[in-house]
Amino acid sequence: MITIKIGGSRGINMDYVCDDAAELHKAGQKIILVHGAGNEANELGEKVGYPAKHVTSPQGFSWRYTDRQTLEIYTMAAVGKINTFLVEALQKRGVNALGLSGVSGRVMEGTRKDAVRIIEGGKQRILRDDYTGRVEKVNAELLRALLDMNYLPVIAPLAISYQGDAMNVDGDRAAAIIAGAVGAEKLIILTNVVGLMKNFPDESSLITHIDKRQVEASIDFAEGRMKKKVLGASEALKLGVPQVVFADGRVEHPIQNALAAKGTVIE
Amino acid sequence: MNTAECPECGGAISFQSAPIRGEIISCPDCGAELEVVNENPLELDLAPQEEEDWGE
Repeated sequence: MITIKIGGSRGINMDYVCDDAAELHKAGQKIILVHGAGNEANELGEKVGYPAKHVTSPQGFSWRYTDRQTLEIYTMAAVGKINTFLVEALQKRGVNALGLSGVSGRVMEGTRKDAVRIIEGGKQRILRDDYTGRVEKVNAELLRALLDMNYLPVIAPLAISYQGDAMNVDGDRAAAIIAGAVGAEKLIILTNVVGLMKNFPDESSLITHIDKRQVEASIDFAEGRMKKKVLGASEALKLGVPQVVFADGRVEHPIQNALAAKGTVIE
Repeated sequence: MNTAECPECGGAISFQSAPIRGEIISCPDCGAELEVVNENPLELDLAPQEEEDWGE
């Protein structure tokens, strides 16, 4: 069984991803798909006159500042649009895909980060109204039951807090904890680049293999969003997932390429 | 100049510019990290120390 994270950035070819997922599913491969929503949520925010605001922590992690209105926009993009149309695309290909967010059935549960630090105007500040959180528990029983019934679960990156608040969660880290909880053999993270590069954006500097003991050190090579992907990879490996692959989601057969170790393999 | 008292050691803390709610400042006497929890009247409290203090 494999868990696949499809990045939410522009450039990933969803038709290629769905073609490949359908082919593998029909061949008997059990798959859980987790998707992002970043680009769609940004575009929707612009359309409704409430553009996304991105903030950065003192350690250099950046994220979407998610006040309640942003959470609503994010949910419309992630659950309302991307999840529904991914399910539609898979259904068109003969796969009985089932869409849900981590809120449903408490598929993903965790702690809301209600006091986070940002750098603004050169000063550190605490934000207290952020609806983001870290996934700590997965309803693996429900996901296994869906897989046993031959559904292909498609999961939007929202979770529920222990207090019952919906939260925006990082899709890469969410996919990692899901992969660990269900005992996936691999976590494949499809991105709009070839993998982790030593000198971003020079694709010839692709790092093809990372020993799992070195994964945390490799975060130094990661730029921007890739930092969270490396963090997710590290968390998946710690949870017992044997292999994580960062692979190119822009090309044909992106999943089969990842299964053939094309990209950055961490094990 | 805005001044406040450190809730940890009682030392005086001066702000060079107008404090903003949520702003973090270190006490020059005891080094405690403090958060501006109110601007008027100026109130400080110990800043939360989370293992992961970034959002997702």
